[in-house]
Amino acid sequence: MLRYTIQRVIYMILTLIVIATATFFLMKLLPGSPFRNQEKLTPEQIQMLNKTYNLDKPVVEQYFAYMGKVAKGDFGVSFQFKNRSVTKLISTRIGPSAQLGLQAIILGTIIGITLGIAAALRHNSWIDYGATMIAVAGVSIPSFVFAGLLQYFLSVKWQLFPVIATNSENQLTFIGLALPTIALSVFVTSTTARYMRTEMLEVMGSDYIVLAKAKGISYFNIVFKHGIRNALIPVITVIGPMAVNIMTGSLVIERIFGIPGLGDQFVNSIYTNDYPTIMGTTIFYSFLLISIILIVDLLYGVIDPRIRVAGGNK
Amino acid sequence: MDKLLEVKDLHVSFKTYGGEVKAVRGVNFNLYKGETLAIVGESGSGKSVTVKAIMRLIPNPPGKIVNGEILFDGKDLSKISELEMQHVRGKDISMIFQDPMTSLNPTIKVGKQIMEGLIKHQKLSKKDAYERALELMRLVGIAQPEVRLQQYPHQFSGGMRQRVVVAIALACNPKILIADEPTTALDVTIQAQILEMMKDLQDKIDTSIIFITHDLGVVANVADRVAVMYGGQIVEIGTVDEIFYDPRHPYTWGLLASMPSLDTDEQTELIAIPGTPPDLIHPPKGCPFAARNQFALAIDYEEEPPFFQISETHFAKTWMLHPDAPKIEAPESVKARVRVMPGNFEKPIQVEGL
Amino acid sequence: MENRKISPEMFRVVGATASDAEKISRPSLTFWHDAWIRLKKNKGAIVGLIITIILILLAIFAPMLSPYKYSDQDLRHANLPPKVPGLEKISWLPFTGYSAEKVDTRGIKTPARDMYVTENMRTGEKTEYKKYHYFGTDDLGRDLWTRVWTGARVSLSIAVIAAIIDFLIGVTYGGISGFFGGKIDIILQRIVEVIYGIPYLIVVILFRIAFEKAGIVTLALAMTVTGWIGMSRLVRGQILKLKNQEFVMAAQTLGASNMSIIFKHLIPNTLGPIIISIMFTIPAAIFAEAFLSFIGLGISPPLASLGSLVNDGIKSLTFTPYKLVFPATVISVMILSFNLIADGLRDALDPKMRK
Repeated sequence: MLRYTIQRVIYMILTLIVIATATFFLMKLLPGSPFRNQEKLTPEQIQMLNKTYNLDKPVVEQYFAYMGKVAKGDFGVSFQFKNRSVTKLISTRIGPSAQLGLQAIILGTIIGITLGIAAALRHNSWIDYGATMIAVAGVSIPSFVFAGLLQYFLSVKWQLFPVIATNSENQLTFIGLALPTIALSVFVTSTTARYMRTEMLEVMGSDYIVLAKAKGISYFNIVFKHGIRNALIPVITVIGPMAVNIMTGSLVIERIFGIPGLGDQFVNSIYTNDYPTIMGTTIFYSFLLISIILIVDLLYGVIDPRIRVAGGNK
Repeated sequence: MDKLLEVKDLHVSFKTYGGEVKAVRGVNFNLYKGETLAIVGESGSGKSVTVKAIMRLIPNPPGKIVNGEILFDGKDLSKISELEMQHVRGKDISMIFQDPMTSLNPTIKVGKQIMEGLIKHQKLSKKDAYERALELMRLVGIAQPEVRLQQYPHQFSGGMRQRVVVAIALACNPKILIADEPTTALDVTIQAQILEMMKDLQDKIDTSIIFITHDLGVVANVADRVAVMYGGQIVEIGTVDEIFYDPRHPYTWGLLASMPSLDTDEQTELIAIPGTPPDLIHPPKGCPFAARNQFALAIDYEEEPPFFQISETHFAKTWMLHPDAPKIEAPESVKARVRVMPGNFEKPIQVEGL
Repeated sequence: MENRKISPEMFRVVGATASDAEKISRPSLTFWHDAWIRLKKNKGAIVGLIITIILILLAIFAPMLSPYKYSDQDLRHANLPPKVPGLEKISWLPFTGYSAEKVDTRGIKTPARDMYVTENMRTGEKTEYKKYHYFGTDDLGRDLWTRVWTGARVSLSIAVIAAIIDFLIGVTYGGISGFFGGKIDIILQRIVEVIYGIPYLIVVILFRIAFEKAGIVTLALAMTVTGWIGMSRLVRGQILKLKNQEFVMAAQTLGASNMSIIFKHLIPNTLGPIIISIMFTIPAAIFAEAFLSFIGLGISPPLASLGSLVNDGIKSLTFTPYKLVFPATVISVMILSFNLIADGLRDALDPKMRK
């Protein structure tokens, strides 16, 4: 288990290096200068800017300087917001995104697991077909389409919810976060429901459930103690894709509902060609997702006794 | 002898894409107290479905008990509610399955899996159930039960797992133990150990056993009586001696002729039964075995044969025992083993049902 | 037991009809035939298939048959609501050419009016615009019907090209890795292990930023930078599983070359999972493209994709909701139908389900 963990961490670091390197050189390859309105700047100003951003040195040197800083968690200074470090920018923006993401995950998993179990226990009934349809539709409708439609009908047309998630003091409100949370949780609900249904069907059809029945255990205990318990364990693995989706979903949903989160910031930096911020956020996102997937994998090993021991013997 | 279980005219069907598979078509038998009844037959003969129906473990849908009675303890198990059935399963009748590798819950400790039934049926406290589980583990020959109870199934070998499954089955001293090919998935040496253990346990606990197998060698070791199944029906039933030394049904001949034994010398040839079992979506009109039977009579293709009684305990479902049937000699390898059974009637008597 | 039909002469030995017994009375089905039967039974998959075909036909022919071009601007007739001949008289359908009645925050009502009729402020003279725009027009007066189906065409093309590239790279890479095994496999898999960790959409975003303008091919390429990894892992896994099976060994002992073993034996046997994977790649790529468009990294205007149309629609949601509703519906239905087909195929091709 320890060896496996170390191996995984090494791969994770390698992956991050690849991402940082790719990010760096892609940004370098970009045509033109990163500074907007360059025509209006004097040559001295440009030179000064170049010096500030280390752009006067050879690319290789810049690369190693950049990587050295990244390793320390320093992503440089934003082009768009002068005098603000990208790290600072990320840290101030992460809060709203994290809140939105967690809310969506909690809401989505609760509904998804319930739906999945109901569908599996009533296999081939209307509950099953309904849940399956919802699940397929949920992974098919892009979250921003869903968000747009929710916003139009519930906020604009029927005025049940505020259009923007923040109040006049730029604070997130609970009611304001309701629609973005729902929009973001649709994917979570659908994937969890699908996965839970499949796992539950497989578990309920397994030999050990037949044996448990043969023991005379009640249906309730079979479902809860033997069924759901075992079906839930592999469902942990959907947390990985879920995190990815929450992240990409938040990029657009934060924009639609005006949530001052990291996703909104990232899209902004793309619109404004704010390269240090794009690079920094990209690396940060990658770090986050890779860590989540690593933690999920390790956690899975801890929770499932079969893997726990197999790993321990290695 | 006391009748413990009476199966009457049991029909079980499965709905599939191709049509309704009539897996069990009118099975009758009795199980007496303390005896071991072996049900033999090739795969698809309906033996496993029969016992699953007794346990009411046929997945529904697609499966269904279409007709028949399963009388146990004054109740018809095919009719009682699921809740009542839960109190029969594991307590009065329990079951051992074919594949020990998959029949234990991989995420629950073995101890808990044994204790589960005890707590439910015998209303034992956790502590008492634990004590009983320790006792059961010793009974089925697992060393260091204190340690083993705290382990997960994957930490056990196949043979050890099957011992655990046996321990679970015996936990509540069931009146009937159903063993569905309990040794098929195991190594030969382990098979012998498990069989030995089961025989031992039967003496100790005095339970009746229904033992399902396709291996006649195993039958000779464990059974008191043998039922031979083919095409969803019992075609011959009798004591183990009657089936082995005085078989009457051509299918039983085929089974015996295809089985090697220690006294099989180089001259005797093992004969395979040609062909495949009948399609149970459209079962044949007459005798299901006719198409593969080299001795088949014209009537076998027309009329379903009735049972003929050969002795007090021996029945066979074949037209060959009809007074009008020509005298047909069993194949050499079978004839060699035939002995005269003292209990045989003068002539087989046609009977209705069993 | 009735004895009426039984006569002594029926007790003659006729023997086995073993040849009959050997015959399997159910017709034996090939794998693909069987899969097709099961696919046909899956209502969702069939509905998905029919809708997909309709959508593809519309994407091909609707822009061709339309009197407008996707890039034709007509600022005089910008922001027109949908109007469809025949349906224009049905007042509760959104195809009347009338704007919706609006109440602003101060409570002032703007009544609904026919947007296809313009009134000259000075003379009061009314002129009617005689043409029809089924999905309305955008803020530059471009016909949305044409743009939505052009967008569908673009989205579909990107997805199909991406799926093909994924397939080609993935099968080659995974095939080589799985078949040769040993050192080659170890090296290739180490590389995969590193790349696999990179979040898909982040790579797509990065590579897309690197191109200044984006056409169909650039977008498809951006999506395949790491997209093939999944396919290669799948193919490798399948091949490792099949490699040691008897039929491959039989081919080897008969002196078949490595290439012919890969292409004649291994690939056909891994085809089921590969098809399923491709069918899931297409909706994922449509999704990814829409996402890129949404954050401003999609196809360059004036060309449109469904994603960029949805993005435009959300911007002016309050006043012209039809700009969102039509592309949003088309993209959702399109992804949904592909997913339904893919699901159906997975169930049909999964041998575990075979009963």
